Amino acid sequence: MSADELPAATHTVAEWVASVEAGGPLRGFRCPQCGFTTATWNLACLRCGRVGLLEHALGSAGRVVAFTLLTVPGDEFLNDAPYAYIVVELDGGGRITGWMPSVRTVDGLRIGERVRFMASYKPGVQFVRESDTNDPRKGG
Amino acid sequence: MRETWVVGAASNRFGKMKETGREAATRVSLAAIEASGLAPKDIGYTFVSNCFGIAEHQAHVGPLINGGLGIPEVPSCTIESACSSSSAGLHEAFVQVAGGFVDAALVVGSEKLSHLDTLAATSYFAIAADYPFETKNGATFPGLYATLASAYLGAYRTTPEMFGAIAVKNHANAARNPHAHFQKEISMETYLHSPIIASPLRLYDCCPFSDGAAALVVAAKEFVKSPQSEPLVIRASARAGAITEMQDRPDLLGLPSTRTAGAKAFRQAHLEPRDIDFAEVHDCFTIAEALALEDLGFFPRGGGARAALDGLTTRDGKLPINSSGGLKAKGHPVSATGVSQVVEVYEQFNGLAKGREVPRTQTALTHNVGATGGSCSVHIFSRR
Repeated sequence: MSADELPAATHTVAEWVASVEAGGPLRGFRCPQCGFTTATWNLACLRCGRVGLLEHALGSAGRVVAFTLLTVPGDEFLNDAPYAYIVVELDGGGRITGWMPSVRTVDGLRIGERVRFMASYKPGVQFVRESDTNDPRKGG
Repeated sequence: MRETWVVGAASNRFGKMKETGREAATRVSLAAIEASGLAPKDIGYTFVSNCFGIAEHQAHVGPLINGGLGIPEVPSCTIESACSSSSAGLHEAFVQVAGGFVDAALVVGSEKLSHLDTLAATSYFAIAADYPFETKNGATFPGLYATLASAYLGAYRTTPEMFGAIAVKNHANAARNPHAHFQKEISMETYLHSPIIASPLRLYDCCPFSDGAAALVVAAKEFVKSPQSEPLVIRASARAGAITEMQDRPDLLGLPSTRTAGAKAFRQAHLEPRDIDFAEVHDCFTIAEALALEDLGFFPRGGGARAALDGLTTRDGKLPINSSGGLKAKGHPVSATGVSQVVEVYEQFNGLAKGREVPRTQTALTHNVGATGGSCSVHIFSRR
């Protein structure tokens, strides 16, 4: 079996990264069997094991379900601390992690707050508060 | 399956090593073999863990260790499972010995990161997460566990003093452990005034970057005619995996791999959580100890964080937890950690844990997590 004949996903990790860097859409996968939705690159469903996932455009807005304010970063975020690292429940399904450079204090964000993906000057999924955007689609 | 024992164990002092990881690994290996009463030539297989050997420009360290022990012909294998690497090595050694493939095996873990600065060490640790989907988005290990702590605080009534009591307890234990990185007690006031690293986690919620090495000798009962010390009978050796990425987990209030490995281990041993006399659990951060106590079934959901504050997990408590000081204060030389937990059980069983003895030492459990729970090992030991 040649490399071209090996099982493939509808997009590669590199294509996912490129899409993030281009400002979206956030590409993901949806399981045709159980409906599980994820941004993470996989060939099979994390929940039910079904092989063969469908391409799925993830929403760009959602609500924060967990977060931390990081003051000691890794090398790729050396000049960005403090910032929030967040887990977001996206509208339309699926969760994604990202960072929020606009959050500089522990009190600067709360669980349940609505956020929106926005292209960044550097790699990584950046979010901003939805209230800070002028997007007419923003919800409450 | 043959009854399999841990018959020798050794650790150096965690902290900052002057020697290389390879030298330290070889020295603790020989010490463990000497403690076992066996000879290097009795070793049939060597399992080595050295996750970040690349930081020392060294891979394939197994043959170097075996060469240093005078047994270059013995096969070796490097086992990598992030922070649970050497407990994974113990599992593989158990499989080899219990399955009758070899009569005795050496398990050794070693790590040296102190020559790196905090930034570099933080970055090395972070590569055990999912690089494009977590690390690239700003995750660090304190950040990932802080995210779990954030979810925990949102779900249960939790005070900073609860996490603080875990740190105070483990420092008190480490102060009595000559292997420990931090051999000093801390007060609750010191904890509460320590700086935030990743909210809500403070400096004293976090384990240190440590150098260190630890080794075990695992052998079949029938091969060890007259053990030199009280052996640890391996009643269970269980491993489990789970979704790595935090974004895909069904909930953030525990580590599924701990639940699975713990349940498997209790089934293998025909024991229940109430049968365990003391345990070493993976407390890379205080929240990790709280979650482990719940996921292993020792305390109900939401009860793990307050156990230390209520005095239930101190050395004289109902269930002593991390009498060694844990990762939190004994230190966390990644690849040595899993084996060092078993060294603590060995020392408790053999009366070698001077000044930090736990009252009952019939049955013990060790719990070792890889990264944020992508992998996990649980072992249960008892006396003969």
